[in-house]
Amino acid sequence: MNVIEKLVGSLFSDVGVYDAIRVTLCMSVCSTLLSSAIGIALGLALERFSFPGKRIVVRVNRTLMGVPPVVVGLVVYMLIMRRGPLGFLGILFTVRGMILAQTLIITPIICGMTYSYAVKTAPAVRVFARTMGANRRQTSILLVREMKYELYFAMISGFGRSISEVGAVMLVGGNIKGNTRTMTTAIALLKSQGIFHEGLTLGLLLLVMAFVIQCLADFLRREVQEEENY
Amino acid sequence: MRTTEETRQSFAIRMRNVEKRIGEFQLKIEDLTLEEGRIHGFIGGNGSGKTTAAKLMMGILSPDAGTIERKDLGPRDITMTSQRPYLLHDTVYANLVYPLRVRGRKPEESQVRALLARFGLEDKAKQYARSLSSGEQQKLSMLRALIFEPRFLIIDETLSNMDPESVEQFEEMILDIQKKNPVTWVIISHRLSHVYRLCDRLHFFSRGSVLASGTGDEILFKSSEPEIRRFMSKEMIRSGSAES
Repeated sequence: MNVIEKLVGSLFSDVGVYDAIRVTLCMSVCSTLLSSAIGIALGLALERFSFPGKRIVVRVNRTLMGVPPVVVGLVVYMLIMRRGPLGFLGILFTVRGMILAQTLIITPIICGMTYSYAVKTAPAVRVFARTMGANRRQTSILLVREMKYELYFAMISGFGRSISEVGAVMLVGGNIKGNTRTMTTAIALLKSQGIFHEGLTLGLLLLVMAFVIQCLADFLRREVQEEENY
Repeated sequence: MRTTEETRQSFAIRMRNVEKRIGEFQLKIEDLTLEEGRIHGFIGGNGSGKTTAAKLMMGILSPDAGTIERKDLGPRDITMTSQRPYLLHDTVYANLVYPLRVRGRKPEESQVRALLARFGLEDKAKQYARSLSSGEQQKLSMLRALIFEPRFLIIDETLSNMDPESVEQFEEMILDIQKKNPVTWVIISHRLSHVYRLCDRLHFFSRGSVLASGTGDEILFKSSEPEIRRFMSKEMIRSGSAES
């Protein structure tokens, strides 16, 4: 680990790049896992159950999929600031606060994607499960299994969004060196200091990470498409 | 009109005054009784209600009105295969043993291998099931329906894309099952020769209702219903031209 730390340190000036990478990954992984648990469950429930106002809920969720992260950041900031309703949690300017903001940004994305996939897949899976004599629990497990590539893809999309986000984490995290500074907020800082080449290198690193994630998503999608006999 | 002997025979499924509307289509079955341990054939033109009736029997659809009695048939005793079967995103083997896993039964490797070998799928056990040809997919779907020995099977055009040899093999298999341990079958098919050979009773569907029920001879050759005669003559011409 020290070797990597030294290597990264030699490339960049003292903006806490190594910590920024660590914080970025920690925040993105945690918020993606949390959002996946909530978003997948909500997306499947939304497909499964009919209730008055369901179409409005779906539309609201779709709207939230495109909400500007800085708006979410502002709302979370107001919630968790010392005099806010959740001020007692004491998570303003902490990674936990940033995870909360990111979870709110990503959950509608994962929920919306899960819902869209489930609407297409679930009816056929349910009919099949019925013909095989599967009970309700077995049918639910089968549905998740049958959608596993799509769910991975939704999770990876959420992770991609989380890793590249800047507005909300800047507001909620405060860009504190070694503590809440992420790769994107470090780039913003480097730009304000006029250290463009380091900002660009960090940006390149971020791009490589995003590229690897998208390649993984693409690989999963292609694996399904290429093997099917249409 | 059913005979006394038929009335005495215990039924597997009985539909009474069943109605189901799907869009503009209306299914209306006054009385349809499927005797236990027999092979029943559903015939009729496209959109006549055969598959809708089968789905109601299976419990995939719920009737808008009427009653469907399933005598001693639990959800795990009945199955249905279709022309375009649903295959899991998994291997041929995993697809085949899925109904056994659902029932908590451990698949017997030798039995599974033998079943695959009988229908020429032994080399494809580890292959991704959805990459099979459509005929092979239908074979797999048939084997998957048979492997857990259900008491009521609905075969909806599942043999349509199979090669003649495989169709013959499945026909033999069906007749073999009926000799050893009879179960109830519903075979939906446009191949009249196929249903005539296999089925004990045929039910002719037309515009959402059962126009006539009887033996193969009664329906296909002795019926005086103009619609059945028209259907028969068209099918004869079609199969005749296909043969030539």
